[in-house]
Amino acid sequence: MNNYKLIIMTDDKQVVLERILQVTRYRGFLINGMTAQVNTGNNIATIELLVSSDRPISLLIDQINKLVDIKSVEVDNSASQLCSA
Amino acid sequence: MNDSKPLTGGGLLFKVLEQHGVEHIFGYPGGAIMPIYDALVDSNVQHFLCRHEQGASFSAVGYARASGKIGVCMATSGPGATNLITGLADALADSIPLVAITGQVPTAAMGSDAFQETDIFGLSLACTKHSFQVTDINDLEKVLHQAFAIALEGRQGPVLVDIPKDIQIAAVEQKFTKASSLKNKVKLPLADITKALDLLTHAKRPILYVGGGVGMANAIDEVRSFAETTGLPSVSTLKGLGALNHTSENYLGMLGMHGTKAANLAVHDCDLLIAVGARFDDRVTGKLDQFAPDAKVIHFDIDAAEINKRRIADAPILGDLKENLPLLTMSLNIEDWQTQIQEMKADCAWRYDHPGDGIFAPAVLKEVSDLMPENTCVTTDVGQHQMWAAQHMSFDDPSDWLTSGSMGTMGFGLPAAIGAQISRPHDTVIVVSGDGSIMMNVQELATIKRYQIPVKIILIDNAKLGMVRQWQDLFFDGRLSETDLSDNPDFVMLATAFDIKAKQITQKGEVTAAIKEMLDHDGAYLLQVKIDAQENVWPLVPPNSANNEMMESA
Repeated sequence: MNNYKLIIMTDDKQVVLERILQVTRYRGFLINGMTAQVNTGNNIATIELLVSSDRPISLLIDQINKLVDIKSVEVDNSASQLCSA
Repeated sequence: MNDSKPLTGGGLLFKVLEQHGVEHIFGYPGGAIMPIYDALVDSNVQHFLCRHEQGASFSAVGYARASGKIGVCMATSGPGATNLITGLADALADSIPLVAITGQVPTAAMGSDAFQETDIFGLSLACTKHSFQVTDINDLEKVLHQAFAIALEGRQGPVLVDIPKDIQIAAVEQKFTKASSLKNKVKLPLADITKALDLLTHAKRPILYVGGGVGMANAIDEVRSFAETTGLPSVSTLKGLGALNHTSENYLGMLGMHGTKAANLAVHDCDLLIAVGARFDDRVTGKLDQFAPDAKVIHFDIDAAEINKRRIADAPILGDLKENLPLLTMSLNIEDWQTQIQEMKADCAWRYDHPGDGIFAPAVLKEVSDLMPENTCVTTDVGQHQMWAAQHMSFDDPSDWLTSGSMGTMGFGLPAAIGAQISRPHDTVIVVSGDGSIMMNVQELATIKRYQIPVKIILIDNAKLGMVRQWQDLFFDGRLSETDLSDNPDFVMLATAFDIKAKQITQKGEVTAAIKEMLDHDGAYLLQVKIDAQENVWPLVPPNSANNEMMESA
């Protein structure tokens, strides 16, 4: 099981958090932790998502990127690590 | 719109629909959408009352697929909205542009478990490309424009707009907001074109593998030009049928679970697979790690998430097919491979010399295909009849072939045909259905009657859920479970009750005359074709098997 930390920048729109969580679950990733903050100045939300899965993280990044409100998705390599389940 | 009345949210909806060129919509009224239906009275948009919201959603899908326009459907809150969901999921799975409008309880009542309240906004997350809930009348116009833009841009799909009743009633001024185009996140690395050109130049046994994305990208001319200039042997997915020239000597038909033997063997043996608007679906690949095991892959797609999802691409090419495919068009030196392909195609040709007097469904569908007029649009339901239609009928364009490919939704065919016929009133529309599937949305016969929609229904009747029965026989030791439909209604009498002319045939000798009578009839027609319940669809790639391990008999 691989652990990853995703940093997601998104427009602060309706149910965007639910959309990200739904896609994450459906595409086979466990959610181990999450923080979310909105910059009220520009209405951009920053979501940090800790996930784990046997599947390549690129599959999840591509799917989250497809969501209409998403601005960017990056893996924080310094926080991601490989470990056995 | 009567100018003496102030514009409301409901009225604004129809103004925006008209701005987007929407002429026809499909729906069913109810309490929480009554202000929109009231505004409909003053609109130029023509509404078709379906007899179930699922029928409305599939009619909108059929309309979109047959015409290339956006399909629009609407329903009330609660059960009306949830009844749309199967159609939305189908549209998402097959990438069909749809805008669904749902009524919602007033904003003040939302979250109170009000009568006919359901969280359709939440339910929509997994079955739409995007969705909106409008809670401020000042957002409505912009949201509706966004819905149309999102449905059409990039990989197409369904968008739901949930509108509470108080927003429908609220006064509003139209601002003629322009829809903003979405940001394109797709960038094409030039190196991939170079790599793709290198792979194509050096391949000895290349195959062109075409999917539904070609039709969605309106790139049929480009893919045909590519196939013709390169001389590539080609295969199609279920949803890609019609994109390639089916008369080409290098075209091998459908690949996959019920694909042609030649298509599956050729793909298994190829050294280069050029996937164009196709996504390596499990029904196509069979056992994934044994699919085209010796092949490098060039993968054209508009959706970055499809690249490397099921099969690693040696040369991924993201973006618009119309622009990208010509970049690889060149003549190739693959005569030996072409000869091998053509011999394989001849060796594996379909046979229609079925013994006995009973009716052989593949022969019926082949004959329908040969006799139907140009530009005929065929819809299907799901099951054995669907696979026989895919195998034995030929189409000149993907918009002439509407089948629920990814979701495999029984009940799709009849309402999809209604939508197709409304979008193409001068073309013949034929539904190929089964006795199981047709009962899933049989209420839409009333829609056919109401609007005098002249669809032709070919009902392949084996009094079984035939495909499930086939699998029970082959893979569950013949333990038949809930697949017998021998108590079906009298379908001729049923059609007649809806003023639809109908006929039953049981013998091979009746087929030709019956098809001609059906096609010559001015109005709707149901032709019930009784077949042997034990007939199976062949070939069949068994579950978890490679495509070259197909079964050709029990």
